[in-house]
Parts: sequence; C-alpha cells; structure tokens
Amino acid sequence: MRPLTLRRLLLQCLLLTVLLFFVVVVALKFGAVPVSLYALARDLLRVIFGQSSQISSDYGLIIQNIRLPRIILGIIVGASLSVAGTSFQALLRNPLADPYVLGVSSGAALGAILGLIAEPHLTLAPAFAGLLTPLCAFLGAAATIAAVYFLGRREGQIDSTTLLLGGVITASFLSALIMFLMSIVTSSNTRGMAFWLMGNLSTSFQKSVYWFLAAGFFVASGAIYTTANDLNLLLAGEKEAMHLGVDVRRVRLVVYVAASFLTGLAVSVSGAVGYVGLIVPHIMRFIFGSDHRTLLPTAALGGAIAVVVADTLARTVVAPNEIAVGAVTAIVGAPLFIYLLRRRLA
Amino acid sequence: MSLLLRLAALAAIAAFLFFATPLRAQSASPDSLSAPAFREVVDETGRTVHVPQPVRRIVSLAPSMTETVYALGLQDRLVGDTDYCDYPPDAQTKTKVGGGINPSLEKIASLHPDLVLVTKAFNLPETVHSLEGLGISSYATDPHTVHDIITSTKKVADLLGVPDAGAVVGDEMQHRLDQLQHQLATLPPRQVLFVVWTQPLISVGRSTFIADALLRAGAVSIVDSSQDWPHVSLEEVAHLQPDYLVFADSHSETVPAQVDALATLPAWRILSAVANRRFAVISDAVNRPAPRIVSAIEELAKQLHPEAFVEKPSDAKEKMVKQNFSQSTKPFQDFAFIKQNQPLVTHKTVGECACAL
Amino acid sequence: MSSPAFARNPSESSRLGNEPRLGVEQVSYAYSANPAQAPLFTLEATSFQARPGEIVAILGPNASGKSTLLQIIAGALQPLSGRVLLNGFVVHSLSPRTRAQRIAMVQQESRLLFPARAWEFVLQGRHAHGRSLRFETTDDVLIAKNALTQVGAAELSDRWMDQISGGEKQRVILARALAQQPLLLLLDEPTLHLDIAAQVGLLDALRRLAAENRYTVVIVTHELNLAAEYADQVVLMQRGRCLRVGPPASIYQRELLEQVFQTPLSVEFASNGRPRVTVLSGT
Repeated sequence: MRPLTLRRLLLQCLLLTVLLFFVVVVALKFGAVPVSLYALARDLLRVIFGQSSQISSDYGLIIQNIRLPRIILGIIVGASLSVAGTSFQALLRNPLADPYVLGVSSGAALGAILGLIAEPHLTLAPAFAGLLTPLCAFLGAAATIAAVYFLGRREGQIDSTTLLLGGVITASFLSALIMFLMSIVTSSNTRGMAFWLMGNLSTSFQKSVYWFLAAGFFVASGAIYTTANDLNLLLAGEKEAMHLGVDVRRVRLVVYVAASFLTGLAVSVSGAVGYVGLIVPHIMRFIFGSDHRTLLPTAALGGAIAVVVADTLARTVVAPNEIAVGAVTAIVGAPLFIYLLRRRLA
Repeated sequence: MSLLLRLAALAAIAAFLFFATPLRAQSASPDSLSAPAFREVVDETGRTVHVPQPVRRIVSLAPSMTETVYALGLQDRLVGDTDYCDYPPDAQTKTKVGGGINPSLEKIASLHPDLVLVTKAFNLPETVHSLEGLGISSYATDPHTVHDIITSTKKVADLLGVPDAGAVVGDEMQHRLDQLQHQLATLPPRQVLFVVWTQPLISVGRSTFIADALLRAGAVSIVDSSQDWPHVSLEEVAHLQPDYLVFADSHSETVPAQVDALATLPAWRILSAVANRRFAVISDAVNRPAPRIVSAIEELAKQLHPEAFVEKPSDAKEKMVKQNFSQSTKPFQDFAFIKQNQPLVTHKTVGECACAL
Repeated sequence: MSSPAFARNPSESSRLGNEPRLGVEQVSYAYSANPAQAPLFTLEATSFQARPGEIVAILGPNASGKSTLLQIIAGALQPLSGRVLLNGFVVHSLSPRTRAQRIAMVQQESRLLFPARAWEFVLQGRHAHGRSLRFETTDDVLIAKNALTQVGAAELSDRWMDQISGGEKQRVILARALAQQPLLLLLDEPTLHLDIAAQVGLLDALRRLAAENRYTVVIVTHELNLAAEYADQVVLMQRGRCLRVGPPASIYQRELLEQVFQTPLSVEFASNGRPRVTVLSGT
C-alpha cells in the first residue's frame, strides 16, 4: 500500500519540468535561422537578467521576439489542452473524450470566421486590430460553452451522457455553419482560416496577451486541481461518489466551466491543435497512474512538451516554409493512439 | 392509372429531360444555324480545344480573362462573367454566373456561349470537364511570367479573331515594360516581401507571375519557394530583413492601419521595414494575369525607386510633343477601352490606385 | 471475536443503545416521468426507528419501494413529505461531505473506468474526512488497513479490483464503507450475486461489526431467511407501502408473508427464537 504523497508528486513534476526545460532549449536552438548554443546561452542569460536591451545581434532579436514567444505559446496551449482533455475524460466518464468533443473549438472557429468577415467593415485602433480574431474566437467559444451547458442538463444538473450528446450535436451543427460561411467568404480570407483550423502557433501577439493566457491557465487549472480527489471518486461511479462525500453537482459545474475555458483560450490563439488533449492524458495515466492529483500536473507538463516538440518539427522540417502544428500532432498522434488502444484491449 | 403505368410515364419524362437538356445547351445560338466551323487549338494546359468559329458569345470565368477581353475591345461579345469580375466597371453590368470555383453551370449554359475562358490558377478542372459534358468548349491560360501574360493575350486575341488588337495590346505592354527596364537599368533591385496574408504569413513562390512582376518593377522577392502560396517563417523574414513590404490591396487606405497594427507586435517590430513603415501598396491588378498588371508594375516601381521617375524638363517636353503629334499613335498612358476599327482614344482608367508613398 | 447467539430479552438494550439514532418519520415519495402526468411510482408514508448496534432489514418483493426508501435514508433523494433524522439532524439538509462522514452506502458497484487496486479503492472512503484536496495521512492508511482486516480481506489489499471475485469485491466495498467510520451503514441487496457461504459470511461480519463498532445497519433485501436470522427489526414493504414494522417474530406470520410474497410458505421457529421460512411448491 503506497498512497500518494506530496513528495512523490513533486518529484514526478520535477522530472517532467526538467524534460520540458531541455525541450525548450532544443526548440530555441533550431529554427529557420540556425543559432549556436553559445549565442543562445548568452542571449538567454541576458533575457533572464533583464538586460534584453543589450541583445543586438540579429539572432538575439529573432530568439527573443519570435522564437521564445512562440515556444511560450506552445507551452501554454499544450498544457491547457492536456488539462482540459484530462478533465473532460473524467467529467464525461469517457476515455475517448478530447477538449473539442463538446463543440468549443467549432464555436471558436465560427467566432473567428465571423470576425474575419466583419473585419473590413470595422476600424480599430492598431493595438486591437490583431486581437480581433482571437477575441471573436473566444467569444464564440464562450457562447458555445453556455449553450452546451444548457443542452446538457437534466433535472437541473449536468448529466454526462446528455452533455456528451448535446456537445457532439452542437459541434457538428457549428461545423456545418462554418463550411457554409467559408463557401461564401472571399478566397484570400479562407486561406488564412484553413491554416487556423488545423492548429497553428505562428501567430504573434503583444506581450500582454501572453501574460493573460498564462494567468488564465493557472486560474482555471487551479480550479480544476482543487477537485482532483473528487474526480478520482467520480470515476469510480457517480452515485458512489456522492455517497462518499463528493458534491457532484458543484464539481461537475466547476470542471465543465474551467476545462471549457482552457479549451477556449487555447483554441482562440492557436486554432484547433488536435490529439494533444486526447493522447497526453492517456500516456501520463499509463506512466503515472489514474490519480488526478498526479495526472493533472503531469498531463499539463506532458502536453507542453508534446506541443513544443511538434511545433519545432513543424517549423524546421521544411524550413523556411512551415507546416501547421496540427498536422504534425495528427501524423504522430493517430498511430500513437492506435498503439495505446491496442495495449488497452490486450 | 395503375402503378406500372405511372412508373412508365415517370421514366419517360425523366428520359426526355435527360436527353433534352444537353441539346438545349448546344442548340442554335442565333448565328450558328449554318454549319459551324471549328478550329482546333491546344490551350496552355495542354488540352486540345475545339473552338467554334467565329466566336460571338464569350463567358469569362476569371477576372483576368474579363479584363483581357475588354482590353481587346471585345466587350460586346462578353455575355457573362463571375461575381469577382469588377474591372473595368462595365464588367460589373454583365450577367453573373457565380464564383470562379463554383460557377452555375446552368447559368453558363443558358447564355449559349461559343467559348468559355478560364485560367488554371483561378478555376477548377472539374468545371472545364462539366462544361465539356454540356458541349461547351473552354480555353485555359496558365501564365507564370509577365512575358507569358503577353503571349497569352496575343494567343487569346488570335483565337477570338482579333489578332491585330492582340498585337497592339501586347506590344503596348512590352513597350512599357522595356521603358521601365530602361529607367531602372542602373538601379539595384529592392529586397521585398510580397505579403498575401499576415497571420499566418503567406507570400508568393518563385514560379508565379507575381514574382516575375516584382522583378520587372525593380524588386526581388526574398521568398524563394517552389510552392505558389508558401507559408513563410517569420524568423526567416526577420533574418533577411527585406527593404520593403509590398501589399496588393484595392482598399489602399486600410493598409497603413494594418502596418501600424503589426508594429505593435514584438515579433513584427524587429523587421526594419515594419518599424520604419517602409511599405508599398499597389492595386490588386498585380494578382491578375491581365494587361493591367503592367500598371501595377509601374506603380510599384515608382514607389520603390522614386528617384528614377523624377521628370527632367527635357523629358516632359518630349512627352508633350509626342502626345500632340498624333492622336492615332499608341497612348503613353494606360490603355483601356480599345474599340475595334475606331481611332484609338486615351481614357484615364477608373479605379487606379494612386498611392505612392 | 465470534458472536454468540443473541437472546431476545431486555438485556438486548445493553447491546443496543438506548436512544434511537436513526428516525424515519412519515417519509413518502413519488416519481413521475412528467410533472403533468400521474406518478409512476409512489412510496407511502413510512416510519421506523433504529438504535446504535441494531440491524434493520427492509424486506419485500421486487418493486416494493425498498431501494427508494434506502436512497431517502441515505440523503440521496429528498422525500416528498416527512424527514429522516440522524442523531437529530435532518439528513437531506446536510452537505454531501458531512453526510458521508456519518452514512456509508454499500450498493451494486458501477464498472470502474480506470483500473484501481483494492487499497486505493478502500482509501476512497476517507475522502469525506479532511479537506477535499489532500494527501492521505498515516491515520487514513491505518484506518483503511483496519477496515480491510475487519472484513477479512487483508490479503486482497494489492489486488486489482477487476481481477477479484464477486464475493471478494463485495467485501472490499464493505471495507470502503467501514473506512468512512460511519454511524449508519446502508446496504442495498448485498447478497444478490453471492453464493450461500459468502452470504452467510457477509452477514456474520455485519452482525459482529454492528456489535463491536455500534453501527446502525439497514439492509435492503428480499431474502426471507437471512432477514429473519440476522435482523433485530424488520420493515415489511409491498408495492410502496410499509405494512408492518417490528422484530422478526412479529412480522413472520404465514398469512401476511404469503400475501406479500405471493407464494405458499410455512413458518417455523428455531431454537434461538428466530423464525425460519420454508417455501412450499406446487400444493
């Protein structure tokens, strides 16, 4: 009998954090513009010690202003999607659930398209012009979250099966709407949309956006983490969980809102990066077990590692061209998922 | 009526409709009741096309083809074009058949065209095959350089029975390009990034006529990709630091705001072209492989190499003398409506973007 | 500690507490699929009391409302009228966490979504004690170990839940309930899938635990003889109505049981004073 202790949890997280650090260093080194490790180390130290203004070299600026923000975005997106995926798998009691199953990504895509259509007719201050698409996407996601919540209720509280059905129907309805809109929107806009729909980390934002994303991630993940133990019990059975002291209604609501919020955040800035939210939880469960007190933080770190690796591949394999990061996660993710599936059944 | 009889009647009606429709598409346009002559040509995609002669009714499925038809003075023969055919303004009054990718075949058929003009880049092979199935011939162009555009125009003119107009237009274009080349001869080309889309960053590949147009304007695209619409890494652009960004936008007034917005992003700000607001805006004629592209090339050249276009007094006088000398000489400014068999007249084309910075 | 046969005499009240711990007062319930329609199912006003150390059997054929009554006692359902009191507190008004510290339910288990070991399973019973997000303390671990030992399943501790037999699983589930350290132990048809030896083993354990730990135990069952042998009190139900409440001797009358169970029987009394029912066939 070896119950989970704080020490073991911290050790596991530390292990993954170290791995993430190495992955980030490698990602910083490789790119369309090659950088030597020495130059990298020197400029990183300058950034850390707040002497960024001293970075004058071409490479330094590229690292600081393009590559590093992109990696940070990848970390936040990967972590958000993995935590959301883990949460939905617990909430819906379904190992096939991923962050998009309840239609949040379709709602975000619809919002983004509507934003793209409206853009020529709006005059915006320069600082906000670049934020229009992610903002519209997030609003679309929020609206979908609310709609699916009301669809998914039974007798006043969320019911797993009803929620899943409501979400799937909403997702396909929204996808149909998106296809309709894309067929009437002018061709240049749809080019940008297609890339976004596949999941793409190349969009750059103002500094404040990254802070906001990080804050949003920690708040929402923190809220989910407080229910980690409850989720363990919920997976043993809903009725049983209530008899064991879980406030099922409250837990369901918190997890649903927080996980959908995480998904909406990620999708708004990067489009729908697939497979991360589905597979990373399973891999972490395979290595560390199903206890959500471990699973949630390790999934977050694992997702960050996965997306940074995928994005590094996406921007180096056919450099200086890029492929969408969603394409890489799909190519790697699908066979990996099949492998995991077969292991489970074996 | 028994069920069997009803089914038989239904089948008969269906068969009648099925066989009647293509006949209607083929059926006599007023002039071709006499034995139609055909000319066999190979279009620019390598297809063999049977073009009925003479070509009286034309449908254009690409804005560039519409512009070419107008440039050749054949607008009276144009019976239909797409929703996107907006230049010249008169083209907007023509019957619309839908988009370039998904035009209404029924609408096209109802116009009884002798020939449909398409381009490989803008239209789909499925459309051409469907039209073939209806007995309608399509001719496709596929220019990859500005020179290709000139030869395409001449070939189309020949096909449509107006080789002389084709020669006039083609030579006009060549003359202006040669003139430009002469003016830019001694100047080093500017390194530019042609921006199709910003997020994600999409530019043009080396085999596109746009890239060639840039060359003719004294610019070199920093993107060297075999894809036509490559997604380019911002890192690479930051490394190469182009002198100018080039935007093609019919709504030129939005571009400065767009660049200001980019300047707020740290990732874009490290491009000196963004930080110093060095960008050129030209009309979207550059996106269309039609005679008007030469105007766009000239526009771009003026913005990138303003020093080459300072008018010396002697040059100006020479120009005026030339213009006054003969009304029938080819116009130095933009050609537009060339009416066949009429003296050539100059018109200032509407909608030209005069936005040199 | 093995349990001697209990005599039905005033000294019983030393085994059982003096004050009633559980009070079911005029509890009724109705369930309709559609608010506009007539109810599909009703439970009519039912009352009984139970003291610490007492075993109560809710007895009746299928669809008699037994499980519904148990859910109401557990606080999972709110009664239409009446209330359930546990040591003076209205059960339904307590938070799920507080309820779980006092009431433990043993029922047919849903399929586990992800595999778990027996000790993990039993540790879940400690969830209600302490903050929601916490790591199990050494006390928790001790209590869980103890619970497994009490049900005689200590050797199952490291086994996977989906790899043990039905009877073993039932014992582990009971251990989890014991780990909650409840006042009230509720069981819904616990003997359903067990063979006779396992059934007897389970009920012997329950009787022993009730005596040692002063649990109030409420068992829903349709097994006439088990109820007769182990229960201190029987609540006889038929079609949503509570027919009678009392010790087995007063409930087990042939005409009454035949009417409820719709089958000819004969009732005898064993040497320990407990009734024994024999089902007659054919005649």
